[in-house]
Amino acid sequence: MFKIRADFPLRGDTSSRFVFGLVAILVFMAALSVTAQSYLNSLMDTWNRSVTGTLSIQIPAGSGTGDLDEARSLVLELLHEREDVQSASIIPADEMNALLRPWLGSDDVIADLPLPVLIDVELVSANDAAAEEISEVIRSRVPTAIIEDHRVWLNRIVGLAEGMNMVALAAVILVLGALGLIVVFATRSSLTEYTQAIDVLHIVGARDSYVAGQFSRRSLVQGVLGGFAGLVLYVPAATLIALLASRIEEGMLPKVVLPLQLWGILLALPFIMGLLSMITANITVRHILSQKN
Amino acid sequence: MALLRKNKGNYAGPTAKLEDVGLQYEDGPEVLKDVSLEIPQKSFHFLTGPSGAGKTSLMSLLYLARRPNRGQLNLFGEDVSNINRNKAADLRRRLGVIFQDFRLLDHLSAFDNVALPLRISGTSDSVVSENVSELLKWVGLEDYMDAKPSTLSGGQQQRIAIARAVVNRPNLILADEPTGNVDDAIAMRLMQLFIELHKLGSSVIIATHNEALVERFPFPRLHIDRGNVILMPASL
Repeated sequence: MFKIRADFPLRGDTSSRFVFGLVAILVFMAALSVTAQSYLNSLMDTWNRSVTGTLSIQIPAGSGTGDLDEARSLVLELLHEREDVQSASIIPADEMNALLRPWLGSDDVIADLPLPVLIDVELVSANDAAAEEISEVIRSRVPTAIIEDHRVWLNRIVGLAEGMNMVALAAVILVLGALGLIVVFATRSSLTEYTQAIDVLHIVGARDSYVAGQFSRRSLVQGVLGGFAGLVLYVPAATLIALLASRIEEGMLPKVVLPLQLWGILLALPFIMGLLSMITANITVRHILSQKN
Repeated sequence: MALLRKNKGNYAGPTAKLEDVGLQYEDGPEVLKDVSLEIPQKSFHFLTGPSGAGKTSLMSLLYLARRPNRGQLNLFGEDVSNINRNKAADLRRRLGVIFQDFRLLDHLSAFDNVALPLRISGTSDSVVSENVSELLKWVGLEDYMDAKPSTLSGGQQQRIAIARAVVNRPNLILADEPTGNVDDAIAMRLMQLFIELHKLGSSVIIATHNEALVERFPFPRLHIDRGNVILMPASL
């Protein structure tokens, strides 16, 4: 079996266990952060795709059914005349009920409400000018109609997503920074503990790179193993969150499929941590030793 | 011993040369004053003097644990005043140092302690195994290869320390009381090892209080007294 030879008993010392545990926690946090960011991006994409190039036209319930029917027919006629409209369809009552049920409860309650007519419009292409023109035409002929092109809502959602991306990125940077600090202090501690052994190595001809190599190999192993331990913690936590999220009514949150790249990133996390630990330890040791006589 | 091959190298000057060297610790008085001496190649010296005279300090200069506060120190022709750490490490590979307190690595076995200089210099495992085994056998510790130093007697530890110092065929051997913890028979065997290495080209400096040992061998002595070094001829 492959065994890494070390001239110090680095494997079992206190700082090794300390770094292993902290790396596991950091990877756990980073994995959750990356997953949340990936979920949010996928959610934004799903919403974006579902509303881009669409309009929602709401015709409020008027003083009488006749007015509502007339307005509905007029709007449909105006829409069907246009070449830049792909389709225009009224959302059926049962579909409306399904959308409202998570908020309002039973169908009996919904039936008593003066619900508007909702018309779903899909444009040939995502064209802000066309959407604006259609809105003006509808409003001029049916002043009570409320036209929603989702742009404002979309812009806010995009802003939220960008903000969350930055927060997730900041979280990952903080995690990496914390790892660097942990490795620096753990390495310093070990160097102090093994000062005499290091002096012996120098006396028999070891360069600083030889000493640094032993510490950096240990850090690499700790980083990778700690990282996988963090993923082991992450799996049940993520599974639990997914299970709880699946219980939310479909009308409130659409189903999202997390991208394959996410799993690649998660699996890469332990190796990234290991690599960063290794480099940090190497630099730390060389720096401290260079200050000695 | 097969591992004791002749020294190679093209440098013809003294192994070590000190010119007006002074050494002090922090702001204290100088422990070595105006030391000027040459250690020729293939020379053998005893280093004598009362306790606190500066023997250990002189040794520490020679194995580059310290740099002189003034004067010049040349080792194998290299001025060590401003050499970088890598160069200092490379010079130390040509040294063999035996400490009075052994300075073995407690978590390594006897074998691994002796193998250390060879592994550091990149020697292959097969050569390491052959040389270290032979050397441990020569110092009478072939049955203790896997033993940790803490389980061994002072004399056994000293033999391991000596084996570690000579395994790399150093050009300069610095020994601080190498026979202090062993019986006469082992002491003579160890001295024979030093003499053998000397014949094969190593310079040897042995710091000792043992006047009987000094008088038994025909080698000159460097006598230190209150920081000053005097070269004295061989006793015989």
